[in-house]
Amino acid sequence: MKQDRRGSWYLLTGAVLGVSFGLFYSWVISPVKYVDAPPYALRADFKDDYRALVAAAYLYSGDLLRAQDRLAQLKDDETAQTLAMQAQRALAEGRPEEEVRALGILAMALGGGVMPDTSSLTPTQAATFIPPTSGSTPTPLLIEPTASPTMTMQTSPTSQSTVNIPQSTTSYQTPQTETPTPTQGAPFVLQETQLVCNINQPEPLIQVEIKDAAGQPVPSVEVVVAWDGGEDHFFTGLKPELSLGYADFVMTPLVVYSIHLTDGGKTAGDLTAAECVADDDSRYWGSWFLTFVQP
Amino acid sequence: MSRWTKFLIAVILGAAAGLFYGWVVNPVEYVDIAPVSLRVDYKTDYVLMVAESYQVDHDLGLAVRRLALVGSSAPTDIAANALNYALQHEYASQDLSLLQSLGEALLTWNPNQEIPTP
Repeated sequence: MKQDRRGSWYLLTGAVLGVSFGLFYSWVISPVKYVDAPPYALRADFKDDYRALVAAAYLYSGDLLRAQDRLAQLKDDETAQTLAMQAQRALAEGRPEEEVRALGILAMALGGGVMPDTSSLTPTQAATFIPPTSGSTPTPLLIEPTASPTMTMQTSPTSQSTVNIPQSTTSYQTPQTETPTPTQGAPFVLQETQLVCNINQPEPLIQVEIKDAAGQPVPSVEVVVAWDGGEDHFFTGLKPELSLGYADFVMTPLVVYSIHLTDGGKTAGDLTAAECVADDDSRYWGSWFLTFVQP
Repeated sequence: MSRWTKFLIAVILGAAAGLFYGWVVNPVEYVDIAPVSLRVDYKTDYVLMVAESYQVDHDLGLAVRRLALVGSSAPTDIAANALNYALQHEYASQDLSLLQSLGEALLTWNPNQEIPTP
């Protein structure tokens, strides 16, 4: 009778103790160890490092498919746009120019742009490097090169080392893709200057759109705007929601501007804020839209 | 069934419920991890990317700093581990060559020559 009055609370107590034990075991005795994690689980700054490394590696190999595979591991929504935005962030943060350039080139390639020029690469041969094996004493490894369907580099033995791996030469073939390849190094030329009247755009802008020979927008291009007594620089790709090759600059009325790109090409001058007329005869500022293309 | 038996069953069921919740209903999600926690094949690819980028910039200090993200051991060991994994899994010969080149270059690396970056 006495036991019956205690009811079934002991069962709930047991369950709570069980859960507590499970949590104590999983959180204290044997906590989760983060191993075998995929790249998409990386912290945001490490993801940035990862993208920068993918881009740097792409400069060497020119293997766009491999770069895409690597970036896919990060599970970004818009890979090219993410790269372009990171390039802009890197630029703003004063990161090394090579990093910004690599990110921009890969972003451009993913958008259907150019392939990197790898002709100047010269892999070097230094002292013999023998990876340690499972034993305590390193032993030379003999490796028979195996043909791979993904092999794209022409290799030839150029030196004799302990590890028998063919050393690559300067000869290199980029993989066959459907990516158009515009003229390497050709400066952008001004294709069109147009006054754009948009009543929803209250400020007078100099709008720049830069495209490569394939008609694809080009991010991370430095644009120089100059006026009497001043100069400023801005970059394409800061507004990827509009276009990766787009950039704009707010004009001050009555000031005359000129525009040119840092990689050369002709200067577009005599740009000043111009007025447009609305349907109700009211006036508002128009914007100059300049299109640069790579021949 | 005795009260103690029921109690133990409740404990076991509670633990089972906790594990089911932790493993099935709301399993651990890997977020905000460091590269050192990457799976070994991803780590190897990471080292391969370092090797590829080294062929472009020839900046050994930068390569070492990048390798430091995937392990606390010596850079040569990290490269060697990657090369061993690549050998075991029959990576393409040019990838092996790149890892080999990086490892060889790291043998010449002297940390005392590194200029600290702000």
